Amino acid sequence: MKFECGDLDRAMANSDLLPEAREHFKTCAACRREYRLWNEISATARELHEEWDTPALWPAIRETLQAERKPEVFWWKQWKTWAIAAALAIAVAVPLGLWRHSQATRTTAPTTPDFLTEQALREVETSEAAYRQSIEKLSKLAAPKLATASSPAVVNEKERLSLLDSAIAETRANVASNRFNIRLQTALADLYRQKQETLHEILNHDAKN
Amino acid sequence: MVWEIGLPLPFAASVPDHPTEAELAEACRRGNVRAFERLYQLHSARMKSLAFHLLGSRADAEDTVQEAFLKVCRAAHGFEGHSSLSTWIYRILINCCYDAIRKRQRLAESPAPPDFRAETNVPLKVALQRALSALNERQRMVFLLFEVEGLRHSEIAAVLEVPEGTSRSWLFEAKSQLKRLLTEAAK
Repeated sequence: MKFECGDLDRAMANSDLLPEAREHFKTCAACRREYRLWNEISATARELHEEWDTPALWPAIRETLQAERKPEVFWWKQWKTWAIAAALAIAVAVPLGLWRHSQATRTTAPTTPDFLTEQALREVETSEAAYRQSIEKLSKLAAPKLATASSPAVVNEKERLSLLDSAIAETRANVASNRFNIRLQTALADLYRQKQETLHEILNHDAKN
Repeated sequence: MVWEIGLPLPFAASVPDHPTEAELAEACRRGNVRAFERLYQLHSARMKSLAFHLLGSRADAEDTVQEAFLKVCRAAHGFEGHSSLSTWIYRILINCCYDAIRKRQRLAESPAPPDFRAETNVPLKVALQRALSALNERQRMVFLLFEVEGLRHSEIAAVLEVPEGTSRSWLFEAKSQLKRLLTEAAK
């Protein structure tokens, strides 16, 4: 095939024709110039790539994204955060509450029905003191009889007194750490009452006999 | 294996967090902002350049790249991977550029294409830049993607959703047209 000027475009599209085209360029300045321009277009095109700094562009994109995301973050999508927050709140609140509760029972008068007020406590302690005085007097009177107890009934009452004394000692120890507890105070008063009655019975037992 | 459009593998390998496009795509799908930032680092320079040549100003190019990236980030959760991530973002960018051009045309802001024939003896780079505006849309797009931004025909075909042969054909048309325009301008 004889390469002619009209074949130049085909040679540019099909590199198989380039060897023949190059032969033709040796004698055709116009085609040589066109081919050079063809290659220069590609070479110059690379220089058209534009680069410039845009340091604010990504921050602007990121901020827009963050602004858009905020309303979409529903509370239930953050359940892990909420669970951790709740666990922390419980971990702090429970010990704090227990500590405050124990402090309150030691220093101030609670107002719930299970606990005594300061005034009521004073009255209970006065009663207790009166019980103890009365019991001490009765104990002194009963002491000789108890020391020489011989009848089964007196021995029985003596054992009962011993049980009541240990119960009173235990309850008093509990009351000492929880003075406002109405149940403990009632139990202690009941034990004093039982001891008082027992001592009366021991003294009366001799009189009956 | 082609990892990213026109990006050398060593550059991709220097990204330990997202060493493959699949991983980057998955991270973007999960809405990972760091992944989007990585995507931006990889493609923004070329995206800005392409937008600049389509729109004619750096400010418009930046606005359009920003808009395109926001669209990418918003739609990433639905990216199904039918094409590569890079192909997908270039397609979105090109659509954003066309939207901007149409908007500009509606507002009649579009300046008349420069008459490059009026001037002779201008550097080839300037003449080529002006001649580009005389090409039709598809010729200009393929020329910009292949010759200016360095994409392969296979990548261009994926971005423009045409057969690879069509991409080659459009490039030949574009170069023939440019050669003709530049030859005439030189006379």
